[in-house]
Amino acid sequence: MIKIENLEKVYRTEEVETKALNKVSLEVNEGEFVAIMGPSGCGKSTLLNILGLLDEPDGGSFKFLGTEIAKFNERNRADLRKRNIGFVFQSFNLIDELTVFENVELPLIYLGVGASERKEKVEKVLEKMQIMHRRNHFPQQLSGGQQQRVAVARAVINNPKLILADEPTGNLDSANGNEVMELLTELNEAGTTVIMVTHSEHDARYAHRVIRLLDGEVVMENVREQFTV
Amino acid sequence: MDYNLKMVRNYFKIAWRILLKQKLYSSIKIGGFSLGIAACLLISLFIQDELSYDQHYPNKNRLYRVISEANKSGKITKGISFPAPMAKALKNDYPEIEQVGRFNPNELFGAGSAEVRRGDKRENFYEEKITYADQGMLDILQVPMVYGDPKKALAEPNTIVISKTKADKYFPNENPVGKTLILNNNEKKPYKIGGVMEDFPSTSHLDFDFLLTLTGVEFWPGEQGTWMASNYATYIMLRPGADAAALEKKFPLIIEKYVIPSLIEAGNVDVKDVAKQGKIVLQPITDIHLNSADIMEYGSNHQSDIRFVWLFGAIAAFILIIAGINFINLSTAKSANRAKEVGLRKVLGTYRSNLVQQFLAESILYSAISFAVGLLLAWLLLPFFNTLAAKSLVFPWREWWLLPTMASAALVIGFLAGLYPSFYLSSFKPINVLKGNVSRGSKSAGTRSALVVFQFTASIILIVGTFIIYRQMNFILNKKIGFEKDQVLLIQGTHTLGDKVKTFKTELLRLPEVKSVSISDYLPIKGMKRNGNGFWKEGKHKEESATYGQMWRIDHDYIKTLGMKIVAGRDFSQEMATDSGAAIVNQALVKEMGLKNPIGARISNSWEHWTIVGVVEDFHFESLKENIRPMIMDLGHSPSVVAVKVKSADMPEFVQSVSSVWKSFAPDQAIRYTFLDQSYANMYADVQRMGRIFSSFAILAVIVACLGLFALSAFMVEQRSKEISIRLVLGASGYSIFRLLTQNFLKLVLIALVIAAPVAWYLMQKWLEDYEYRITINLDVFLIAGILAVVIAILTISYQSVRAAFMKPVDGLRAE
Repeated sequence: MIKIENLEKVYRTEEVETKALNKVSLEVNEGEFVAIMGPSGCGKSTLLNILGLLDEPDGGSFKFLGTEIAKFNERNRADLRKRNIGFVFQSFNLIDELTVFENVELPLIYLGVGASERKEKVEKVLEKMQIMHRRNHFPQQLSGGQQQRVAVARAVINNPKLILADEPTGNLDSANGNEVMELLTELNEAGTTVIMVTHSEHDARYAHRVIRLLDGEVVMENVREQFTV
Repeated sequence: MDYNLKMVRNYFKIAWRILLKQKLYSSIKIGGFSLGIAACLLISLFIQDELSYDQHYPNKNRLYRVISEANKSGKITKGISFPAPMAKALKNDYPEIEQVGRFNPNELFGAGSAEVRRGDKRENFYEEKITYADQGMLDILQVPMVYGDPKKALAEPNTIVISKTKADKYFPNENPVGKTLILNNNEKKPYKIGGVMEDFPSTSHLDFDFLLTLTGVEFWPGEQGTWMASNYATYIMLRPGADAAALEKKFPLIIEKYVIPSLIEAGNVDVKDVAKQGKIVLQPITDIHLNSADIMEYGSNHQSDIRFVWLFGAIAAFILIIAGINFINLSTAKSANRAKEVGLRKVLGTYRSNLVQQFLAESILYSAISFAVGLLLAWLLLPFFNTLAAKSLVFPWREWWLLPTMASAALVIGFLAGLYPSFYLSSFKPINVLKGNVSRGSKSAGTRSALVVFQFTASIILIVGTFIIYRQMNFILNKKIGFEKDQVLLIQGTHTLGDKVKTFKTELLRLPEVKSVSISDYLPIKGMKRNGNGFWKEGKHKEESATYGQMWRIDHDYIKTLGMKIVAGRDFSQEMATDSGAAIVNQALVKEMGLKNPIGARISNSWEHWTIVGVVEDFHFESLKENIRPMIMDLGHSPSVVAVKVKSADMPEFVQSVSSVWKSFAPDQAIRYTFLDQSYANMYADVQRMGRIFSSFAILAVIVACLGLFALSAFMVEQRSKEISIRLVLGASGYSIFRLLTQNFLKLVLIALVIAAPVAWYLMQKWLEDYEYRITINLDVFLIAGILAVVIAILTISYQSVRAAFMKPVDGLRAE
């Protein structure tokens, strides 16, 4: 599904050049659950942003679903993104001014889905995430765990092939954190590919495979045959 | 070095660096603010000038102009003209009055303008600002004199007092007292110079260069004693301590004692109401300039209106407040950038009070720079403003108060404008800031939205006003006015030719370009010669009330030359000897007199009779503010203007040939000419000025409003950057982000339009009501002004919205 080769990303200020990613190569197959780990500043988030088509690489090749997209412009990336990728963030990134229902509905609006179909789909996913009773609340009225479930609901509303999760449990206590990891696992078992950046060895154990980054380079890949909680 | 001083230096250093770093914001902040300050400064100068009128008279608190109030069925007309004996009667009958004086600036009696020359020279110069005046006038105004005795400069018959400027013109480097001036080539009546006065200051409601004495003057036999003709502006000086209001209460006696007996003597039967309808009041001389809008005066250029002072003052205050609020908005809009600095400083142990001081110092620095720029801007714009307001203001660089006032104003305004931002910015909690949870200002945008609505309401009102004024102007200039104003040359001052004016006409007719020539002072342009008469159907003097109107002396070619239309009867004809007793009247007279068969009807005034031979289609001879009044025209000699209707289009060449003809007749007098269409357009110079003032303020208001909007859109984009990023991550298109950010503001502009439209309609309708002939306000002005406001608003917001739309989706999420 994803194949990157010699990917590079450089941040420049007037005098300093920082290589955030240095010739990173990796492959993720459909249906995989991959965790990316590494210390602060190792380039995890940069890699995730590029994988999520939020940022463009400065060099190397990036094939997504068999298409070379390293040179895509923002418009084309946005197009690809909204059809195929769902995002879950550490700080949830819900829009404070919109209700739970409206937040989850948003990706469908940008896909041009009709109102009645939107309502049906949103209600279905809210039921599934068990937050239907909170549909008319605003994000601030919810607990952290509930907010992250709304964020997951929003990420899966358009049945993406890929879910990118950036420290999805970072702002949650362990009970709520586990709940979110269970959700991601369920989604993965239903066929969705999941790539997750995490600091937590505990969370990483949910993944099939762990990629470790250091100073912008891949230093290790461990594959797990079996994962235990 | 002292600690505090070091801190202050440090504050200004940081402020200066930030100013340089945020170039766009700094220049908008300073630019907008200094524009507001410049506008305020100019308007203050204007108001100061307006309020300083007639303050220079030593006895200003005892000086009054006498005003008549006539109440005709509820409509009050105020005037300044009184019968000749009024002044003397006032002085004799009321001991409270110390001294009186009179002016008669009326063209009809030879004042107003004249061709002037030295008694010992031949060359004539055209002069205006000529009036008849009493010696009493010099006494009560205490006009400062350069030469001559102020106590008796006008005391003797045939004396004249001239201004210093004119003395320098006619008698350079000499004392002209005792020398003579000749007016209009009238060598039988030379004027002896009794004194040279200082020029009237520009802040005087009176502005004359030549004062002809009234001593020994009588314009017709018995004129000085009659109460039946009102031609004199009358001024009084009260004794110290006298009460003007108490004196006014005694004035009805004047009407009882002098006016009513005269009316009865003239044969009027119904005089009971006269005392009730007429009233005499006193106007303080210092009130004349600003509070005479409702008083009929002859051709005063110096009249202003207190309403303009209020309007200008309100605009100045409005601009300064808006500019100040913009300043605050721009400061808080960039708050997130400062949050980190604030957090760090607090972590390092700064007190909040230090931070407040720091931000105040910053604001004062901005304010000081803005004042300096504003001062410069005002100075540069002053010539333009002078044209706009028809003033000749001088920038007060040399006044001692300028710099101290500006410096303290900069300090105070900088302090006030910095107060809110400094408390707001210094309130950031260090933990939140360092964690990245920057509070980005209150989410309740209520006040800010109200501000935008307010700014755009004002802008739209001014835009609509501008459109309507220009449309009315266009309407005036293109209206069918009943005569042809194009291709008519007016040669002025031809009365000095004496009898030769008719030969001059004949000579002009020889020029191949000339279609026709007419000699008459009475032209359908405001400010030309006018008179007033009561007309009756012949023999109905005692039974019917008079129809008041103009009586114009014209010649055989007048109607033809001015392209007027005879709608009944005929034009005057050389072949008809009886035409010396004939008259042509306008439709207004026919209507008002109720003449069923005007042709052949006989009419009269108090001393002449006419047979009507023709009716001319109504033509406008005053401004379109007024209705067309009745008039009659008869054959007569009024030789100071010659009108020439021209065939050819090559005017410069034609003027050349006319000039050479003129030269052969009057080698000592420069030709003075104008074109009828130009004179017509000049009548509406005030409308044009109004249009320019409105468009200037409209542009200023739009600029100020746009700066505010720009600040607000920046603020909003900053506030919503996280939301925008999330939307972009979820696949929002750039266009949908642009629309999201723009539509809120458009809503505000539309609300402004809804508020502005009725207000503008009402105000402009009021303005148009001054015009008897006016346009109707169409809906399309509001539509155009609305579209204009929307387009301007979109353009202003675009910079920020487009930037947001092209933002990389991750940018707004980085802080997390």
